[in-house]
Amino acid sequence: MSNLVLRDRHQPKKPKIKTMNEFVMLIRLEGLPETNFSPEEMQAGMAVWEKWVNDIIARDILVSRGNRLSNDGRTIRDGKVVTNGPFVETKEILGGYLIIRANSIDEAADIAKSAPIVGSGSIEIRGLYSGK
Amino acid sequence: MRSSLGYKTKKIKIMNEFALIFRNDFHPETGYSPEKLQDIMKQWQVWMGGMAAKGQLANLGTRLGGEGKTLKPSNLVTNGPYAEIKEMITGVIVVKAGDIDGATEIAKGCPILNNGGSVEVRNIIPIGAN
Repeated sequence: MSNLVLRDRHQPKKPKIKTMNEFVMLIRLEGLPETNFSPEEMQAGMAVWEKWVNDIIARDILVSRGNRLSNDGRTIRDGKVVTNGPFVETKEILGGYLIIRANSIDEAADIAKSAPIVGSGSIEIRGLYSGK
Repeated sequence: MRSSLGYKTKKIKIMNEFALIFRNDFHPETGYSPEKLQDIMKQWQVWMGGMAAKGQLANLGTRLGGEGKTLKPSNLVTNGPYAEIKEMITGVIVVKAGDIDGATEIAKGCPILNNGGSVEVRNIIPIGAN
């Protein structure tokens, strides 16, 4: 017998699944929400964020909710702590990240445009290596 | 610690989660020979494996590719990773430790520190907290 592919005639052909890639959204803020906003403003901001995340989930493109980072931190270089506090990138610090699925990095950037980040900041989109 | 019935109860260590964010000057693939790359990969495997064996890893983490896009206010989009400073983020993992000092000790073993990079340790805010 050679390379005959036997397909069960009663099974429908499997639909071709579009392969998507995974992208991380790194959210940077000029100061973290807890420094810049009151608890009420923060709660309002978080509600708007949750609504956006739920929309992402509904579109079946959320891979991971990721994490929100607090304002405590340490920066290490050459094996020792050089800074107490978050890593400062010019005026911004990393506030959190999440992971989404998209067909291309451009599509991922389009999705990120609607993200309601709290305060002033930027979002960096990076593709993820699949597998280890 | 003895309960009221006189049995010894085990003290449970509360572990918190901390993000370790890795940065380096350039993306490794662009600068190293294949041999050096393999050597570095091995260093990472040893470090990650050690943490996994000690139950310190909360997740396997992500490795970030060299391509990127950066969005600024008013939907200004630029090509490439975030480049306000010389270093770019190359990956993120989440570890478990009692406190940030414990997480910092774990982070000091990261191979990126031998290759000119840095590690940022940040406390993770649990979902639901404010």
